[in-house]
Amino acid sequence: MLAKHSLWVAVLIMGSAAAGLAQRSLDYDHVVVPQDRIDARALGYPPLDVIPDGESGITSLAVAPDGDIYGATSGARSHLFVLSPIHGFVQPLGYLPDTKNVTHAVVISAEGDVYIGSGTSGHLLKYTPSNPYHEQIGTHDDKAVPVKDLGQAVEGQGIFALAIDRNAGFIYGLSSPGTHFFSYSISTGKFSDWGVVCPRVPKGEKFETDNIMSRMLALDVKGNVYVSGEDGYLFKFDKAAQKLEKLKVQAPAIPGREPWTRVDAFMTDVVSGLIYGGTSDGYLFQFDPASQKVVNLGKPLIQYDIAGLVPGPAGKIYGVGGTAQGMARLFSYRPATGAYEELGFIDVNRRPYYTWQAYVIGAVAVGHRGTIYIGENERISKLYLFYPWE
Amino acid sequence: MKLLRFVFPGVFAVAMVFHAWVAGSSARTVRVDYRLFTGLGNMDGHWNALTVARDGKVYIGLAHHGAGGHAVYYDPSKDRMVDLGNLNKLCGQACMRIGPQSKVHAKFGEAKDGKIYFATHAGLWWNFARFATVEGYPGGHWLVYDPRSGETEDLGIGARYEGIITAAYDPVYNRMYGLNYPRGHFIYYDIATGQTHDMGRVNNWDSLCRTIGIDGQGNVYGTFGKGQIYKYDPRTDKLTNLPLFIPIRKKGISLGRDYNKSETAWREVVWDKQKKVFYGIDESAGYLFSFDPHAGKYGVVKKLGQLAIPSMADGRGVPYASLALTLGNDDKLYYAAPAQEFDFSGSKGVAASHLLVFNLKTDQMQDLGEMRVADGRGLMGAESAATAQDGTIYFVGAMEAKPEPGKPFVYGGKIGSIPYRLALFIYHPEAK
Repeated sequence: MLAKHSLWVAVLIMGSAAAGLAQRSLDYDHVVVPQDRIDARALGYPPLDVIPDGESGITSLAVAPDGDIYGATSGARSHLFVLSPIHGFVQPLGYLPDTKNVTHAVVISAEGDVYIGSGTSGHLLKYTPSNPYHEQIGTHDDKAVPVKDLGQAVEGQGIFALAIDRNAGFIYGLSSPGTHFFSYSISTGKFSDWGVVCPRVPKGEKFETDNIMSRMLALDVKGNVYVSGEDGYLFKFDKAAQKLEKLKVQAPAIPGREPWTRVDAFMTDVVSGLIYGGTSDGYLFQFDPASQKVVNLGKPLIQYDIAGLVPGPAGKIYGVGGTAQGMARLFSYRPATGAYEELGFIDVNRRPYYTWQAYVIGAVAVGHRGTIYIGENERISKLYLFYPWE
Repeated sequence: MKLLRFVFPGVFAVAMVFHAWVAGSSARTVRVDYRLFTGLGNMDGHWNALTVARDGKVYIGLAHHGAGGHAVYYDPSKDRMVDLGNLNKLCGQACMRIGPQSKVHAKFGEAKDGKIYFATHAGLWWNFARFATVEGYPGGHWLVYDPRSGETEDLGIGARYEGIITAAYDPVYNRMYGLNYPRGHFIYYDIATGQTHDMGRVNNWDSLCRTIGIDGQGNVYGTFGKGQIYKYDPRTDKLTNLPLFIPIRKKGISLGRDYNKSETAWREVVWDKQKKVFYGIDESAGYLFSFDPHAGKYGVVKKLGQLAIPSMADGRGVPYASLALTLGNDDKLYYAAPAQEFDFSGSKGVAASHLLVFNLKTDQMQDLGEMRVADGRGLMGAESAATAQDGTIYFVGAMEAKPEPGKPFVYGGKIGSIPYRLALFIYHPEAK
C-alpha cells in the first residue's frame, strides 16, 4: 500500500517540480517582451540615492547630440536625470525648481544645452551639462538643478510639450491649458505666440474640462512643425511663412469621437520624410507633409493611446500603447509590409535579483546605438532599455 | 539514474507524509472543532477574510475561482452559518458574463456603528491577457453589510479593472485601506465622503504584501521591495518609505514555489492594542518579528524567532508562511503552520498543519501538534486566523471532503488526489 502511494506521489512531485521553481512559466513569459531584449534601470543608485518615489514618473526623454539620454520626471517635484549609454546607469541631476511636471518637454540643442519646459510655472529652463559623471551620486533631495530661467513662454500658461529645430536654433511648444503654439529663438531669447489650436473645451461630461491638443510636436525634414488641435485636426507651423495654419486633415478617430481625439505621439522618418503618429483611440497613422494626406494604418493594439513611437532597425517603427488604467504593451510596425507585431507587456524578470512591470509609460526615445528607452510614469518608476531587432 | 537518485529521497519523504495523512498520524495532535459552509461546498479557497465582530459573529469570505465567491458569517450563539450572498450578485454583475467577483481577500472591518466593511477581488487573471478589456474583471468593489438590517450595500468600484487583494479598516479615520492587484497601488475608501483615493504604486505585483497594518493612531504600514516598511500618515495624506526592514530570507532559494508568491514581504501582521506593537511573520521562512512603530525616530523592528514546525525550522524546505496568525487574549500568538507548501488546490502535497503558540511573555514557542478534528481528519492548511472576545481562536482552511450517502459529492478542489472543502476551525485555548 505504501509503495503504491509512493509511486503516485512521485508522479505528483515530478509534475510539481516541472510546474515551477520560483520562476515564471513559459506561458506567462509569452505575454511579456522577450526577456533577452529588455532590462530596467532604477533612477539612481538604490536603495537610497534614487529619485524619490512620488517624484519619479518619467514624462520626458530626449537624446543629446553626443548620445546621452536626458529625462525629466513629474510628481511632487520634477527631477532631471541623464544616462550615458557608455556608463549605462541613471545619474540624477537634481530637482527642477518650481516644477511638478515636465511632459514631453525636454529638448537638447546642437550645442548640447538642455531646455526644459515647466508644466507648472510655464517657464523655459536651460541646463548646461558640466560632466555630471564627476559628481558623487547622491539623493539630490536638497539639490536643485543649476538652470537658467529663460522666462515664461506664454503668460499664465504651463508648457505642455516642446520640440526643437536644432539646425535653425528654434524651440517650439504648446502651452496648457490654453493650447497656444509658441516658439523660442535660442539666439535672440525671444518667445513668440502664434495662436491657439483648440480654442474651446469640446463637448463632454461635466468633469471633462480640458482643451484637446497633441501631447507632442513633430518637425518635418524642412523644419515645419505639426501638432493636433480641435477635432483632431492637424495644424502646421510654416517655417518659411512664419504662420500657424489649420490643415484640412484630421488624425484618425472612431467616427463621432473626433472632438476628443488627440495625437499622443509623433515620429518623423527622416529617410522618407513621412511623419507617423499615434492617436488617443489607439490608431497608428502616416502623414505625408508634401501631399498633406493622412493614411490610417489601423490599430496595433486592442487598447487606446499610444505613448510613444520611435524608429527601429530595418525601417521598423516601435511603439508603446495602453491607457493609464491599463497595462502598456510594446508593438512594432513594418512600413514595407504593413505588418504589426505584438511584443507583449513591458516587464523585466531578473528574479531573484529584481523584477518589475511597467503599466503606464510616460515617454519613449531611441538612442544613437538603437536602444529604445522607455520611461515609466508611476509613483515608483524605472527606465527600461529595450533592444530591438530587425 | 541521476534523476532517480535525486527524486527518490524526496519521494520517500513525501510518501511518508502522505501515508501518515491517509492512515492517521502517530504524531502529537491538537483537537480542533469545525463547521462546514453548508450549501457552499464548491468554494475552493480562502485568504485572510476572517474577522470576529464585537458581537461574536465571525465574518468569512469564501473564494470561488471562475465564479462568484461568497461572504458568510457564523453566529456562535446560535451555532448557525449565514450566507450574505454571492459576490457577483452583491456587486450587481450577476448576469453580465464578465470577470467574476471571486473573492474577499482581506479582513472585514467593523465600524463603530457595527457595520461590516469589506472588499472584493478577482480569482483568475489569464496572464493579464484580459486585463482592462470588456470581458475582463471590472474592478474590486467596496461593500458594507449592516447587521441590523441584514442588507449589504455596494459602495462602488474601488479599483478599476483591479482586485483589492489587501485591505484593512481603520476606526480612527473611518476608512478602508487597500492594495490593488496587479498594479500595487495604495488606495483608501473614506466612508464619510464615499470617495476612493489612489496614492499611487507601492510595489510590483509579484511582491505585494497581503496585510496592511494599522496602529492605534490611524497610521498605516506595509512592506515593499526587500522587506522595507512604508508608512501612510492620514494627517499628511502621504506615503513615506521608512529606513526599516523586517527579517526576511533573501530570494534565490528555489523551492518549487509558485512564481506569484512573494518572498520578501510580511505575510501577516497583528496589532497588539495593549503593547502598541505589531507582531508579524515573513513570507519565505516564517520569521517572527515585532514592529514598534512609535519607538525611535522611525520605529524599531526586532526578530523574535521563527514560526515554523520545529523539524523544519532553519531548513531550506520550510513551507511558505500562512496568513493564519492571530494574537490571543492570553498574550500568545497562535499560528497554523503548514507542513507542506500549501495553497489549496495549488498545494505541493498533503499534510496536517501544526498549531504553534508563541508566548510573548517568555518568548518561547510551543508546537501543540497536528490540528485534527474529532474523526481524525487534519486541517490541510489554513489561510486566516482571528480571536474572539471570549478567547476562542478561529481559522479557515481546507479539510478532506467526505461523500455523504444519497447526496451529490461536492468539494472545492483536490490536493493531490484528496478532495477538500473549506471549513471554519475552532480552537479553545483553555480546553487544550
